[in-house]
Amino acid sequence: MLTYMVRRVLYMIPLLLIVSLIAFSLIKLMPGDYLTVARMNPMLTAESLQEQIERFGLDKPFLVQYWYWLKNVVRGDFGTSFGTRMPVFKTLFFGNRLTWTILIAATTLILTWFLAIPIGVYSATHQYKPSDHVVTFFGFLGLSIPNFFFALVILWMLVVIFRVGEYGLGVGGLLDSRFFDQPFSWAKFCNYMWHLWPIWVVIGTAGMASLIRLMRGNLLDTLSLPYVQTARSKGLRESVVIYKHAVRNAINPLVTVFGLQLPGLVGGSIVTAIVLNIPTVGRAYWSALQQQDEPVIMGGLLFFSLFLLIGNVIADFLLAWVDPRIRYD
Amino acid sequence: MRKTLILVGLLAACSLAALGQGYDTMPADAHVIPIGVEGTVYEDMELGVRGGTLHIPNIEDPKAWNNHTAKETSTTWFTYRMHRGLMNLDHISGAVVPDFAKSYEISEDGLVITFHLREGINWSDGTPITADDVLFTFNDVITNEDVDCNARPGMILPDGTFPICEKVDDYTVTFTLSTIYRPILNQMTFSLMPKHKLAQYVHKLNPDVPAGTFNETWTLDMDLSELVGNGPWIVTDYQVNVSVTMERNPYYYGYDPAGTQLPYYDKIVSHIVANQDVSMLKFRNGEVDVYAMRPEDIPILLPEGPSKGFQVMVTDLAQYGTTWICPNLDIGLADGTDEEKRELYRNVEFREAIAHLLDKDTMVQNVLNGLGTAQWTGVSVPSPFYAGRDEYGGPTTENDAVWFEYDPALAASKLDALGVVDQDGDGWRDLPSGAPLTIEINANDNTIRIAYCLIIQDDLRAVGLNANFQVVDFNTLVNRLLGATGDIIQLGLTGGDEPNSGKNVYTSCGNLHAYRYSACEDPDEVDLRIDELMDLGANTFDLDEAFDYYKEYQILLAHQLGYIYLCQPTFLYTYYDYVGNAFMASPTSTPGGNNGLLTELCFDKRL
Repeated sequence: MLTYMVRRVLYMIPLLLIVSLIAFSLIKLMPGDYLTVARMNPMLTAESLQEQIERFGLDKPFLVQYWYWLKNVVRGDFGTSFGTRMPVFKTLFFGNRLTWTILIAATTLILTWFLAIPIGVYSATHQYKPSDHVVTFFGFLGLSIPNFFFALVILWMLVVIFRVGEYGLGVGGLLDSRFFDQPFSWAKFCNYMWHLWPIWVVIGTAGMASLIRLMRGNLLDTLSLPYVQTARSKGLRESVVIYKHAVRNAINPLVTVFGLQLPGLVGGSIVTAIVLNIPTVGRAYWSALQQQDEPVIMGGLLFFSLFLLIGNVIADFLLAWVDPRIRYD
Repeated sequence: MRKTLILVGLLAACSLAALGQGYDTMPADAHVIPIGVEGTVYEDMELGVRGGTLHIPNIEDPKAWNNHTAKETSTTWFTYRMHRGLMNLDHISGAVVPDFAKSYEISEDGLVITFHLREGINWSDGTPITADDVLFTFNDVITNEDVDCNARPGMILPDGTFPICEKVDDYTVTFTLSTIYRPILNQMTFSLMPKHKLAQYVHKLNPDVPAGTFNETWTLDMDLSELVGNGPWIVTDYQVNVSVTMERNPYYYGYDPAGTQLPYYDKIVSHIVANQDVSMLKFRNGEVDVYAMRPEDIPILLPEGPSKGFQVMVTDLAQYGTTWICPNLDIGLADGTDEEKRELYRNVEFREAIAHLLDKDTMVQNVLNGLGTAQWTGVSVPSPFYAGRDEYGGPTTENDAVWFEYDPALAASKLDALGVVDQDGDGWRDLPSGAPLTIEINANDNTIRIAYCLIIQDDLRAVGLNANFQVVDFNTLVNRLLGATGDIIQLGLTGGDEPNSGKNVYTSCGNLHAYRYSACEDPDEVDLRIDELMDLGANTFDLDEAFDYYKEYQILLAHQLGYIYLCQPTFLYTYYDYVGNAFMASPTSTPGGNNGLLTELCFDKRL
């Protein structure tokens, strides 16, 4: 197992190298560059433009640019953002972006899993009953509504229907402005909660809906297997049959899903973060993409790729843990 | 609890120490803004009271706090409020007037401009501002090639040199020009920077720091108590993706006629709201006090205003900037193709036919919900040099406007006269030789631009021109425009009060002379006259004389139909009734100037 894990980690190095080369090529294939908008500035002379092109190294051939970038990365220098003039990772994580991203994603993930698994189990064990139809209906609804639209609908309802402004409550963001310079207090905590619930609902429902469907389907498959019939015929209690024997097996594919959700912790829900005004790493990355801030795009891509690979490794670990039959050589 | 109180106390003390204590009495050289004074542009404004917080939404986060390396308005929105220059654009009239300089004079030969600085004025940390700060900003930042400074291109004189900035005494500086160049006065609005804080980061002055250090100075991660400015506000807090808080600069030199130091508000909280729908919801929810509307917001906000206590301001003044279509008069020139089409595009009669097919009224009504005006020239309507006026800064009369009225019949007859008729009976007009004529119109993925182009496509097709509209990526569009590889491109340019800022666009060798780059090598009579008029307008300090040159240039430009102008939205904004003096200003831009909402003149009427 240990050899396997070490091998997996070592494989990540050439993989990241290939990812970086593909990413760099894609960035260069995009029309325009960081200075495209500046080119349309009537005040900018041709000489000044050339000066800027040279300053940002945009006049060098593609492979030369990639080589410089790679050489610096090996030395631990991921470059400086064209826009903020700060180091790449400082630009991505500046403020409490990384903390908030992980905090929001982790709480949403926990909440989603804690609700989705029991609901999925309930839905499977009550197949085709009215309660199953209700759960299925909301499951499909959660899957179908685009997150950004759902977020806008919630904010609109709070402002226009419930008129929360009349009670001194704001919408979007993490906190009402009157608390910005206040020390931490119970009231401030409650205000955080007021702003966090729409985030949990919007991001949570989308993830939850798919998990419910997945859990329901897997459990239904498992419940039809002969060993479940055997367990029942041996006279085991139904709860023991379901929770001890069926659910444990049905949950295996979901563990893989859990591992794959890890990169989403730092990069997911960009559009929702924009609509709900949450400081996240994804939002900083989106801003870099819009401006073609190449060093930040490259740094962000590598960072997200790394998380994806780590997520896969963790999923393998978890799978071995929940299913003793799985062994890696 | 006690610990918390001590912490809050310490923070408050630090904040006061960083911002200084302010003046004991009004400085003799204070800048008194004639709020409410009859006969001035400020006569309709009210004297305010101090206190309160103004909440404003902004779409994007700033990228840094360094005004001179800033490249985007999301940054300069804040830095312009922290720094003022020797001159400033008058908020209401758009004229360039002294600001940190209390006065200036120009030598008889027009080559030396002497600025007299306000004495006894301090930076926000209490350090006196002197001529050394002006020299530092100009000689060591703006004209220093080691600094990636945006103000530098504007300082270059027609002969390629920079003005020479010299100190006469602590409160007098001179700028010596190699040639008379009026637009340099506009450039004197450059933001002054504190030498005592920033000289250490300039390689030229401190060889211990590597070259380029200044470019990475005053980035977002700096200690904000180190920020120092001379403008009305200083940034004191930044919550990434959430808000920027600016507090009153205790040493700002602006006062009202009653002797009250400006700004009136204690603080501005700028809420970073990336989505405009959410921004509007926040306004309706009372979280922000002002909001820059979109035309589609009006039907929602207008009926809500009286019950919620806010005003919906719809002015009839077009916003700064231009929106146009640009036929490529050099089409196929680089690769020797499309010769006949190129000849056709270069024929002004053909471009006139196209101009007569632009239904600007429909564009204003259908695309801008009636809240826009048709454009005919490259100078923004609010500019005092706009040729729709009879004199510099006079009222807009449109007496000499060059309009090509929407007239498909006239356009069709012009096309017929050019031999652009359907020769093969397929329903589309062909080139005079009989070869098919197809026109590709491109715009980027922008709702308003797409809507304009669809209207244009329909009108061109209605007279038998085989026009096809395609949306392309913004960068591709810019590449096609600047690489002269497009056909007809729809885009826009930013604009200001000074026509000379369009020199790169309209003079024959300008790098944005995108309708015919070949004019640099092969200018026609009109090109040459436009080049001449641009120089004449810049080479006089007499504004009326300059106006006459610029008027002729705009009329020539309109007849040349290189860029064929469309429409521009008017200023739209809303504000709650309790924001005093907001009626004179839009949150994104002001009808008469480009400094944005007059935050230092607004006040909270509820206090």
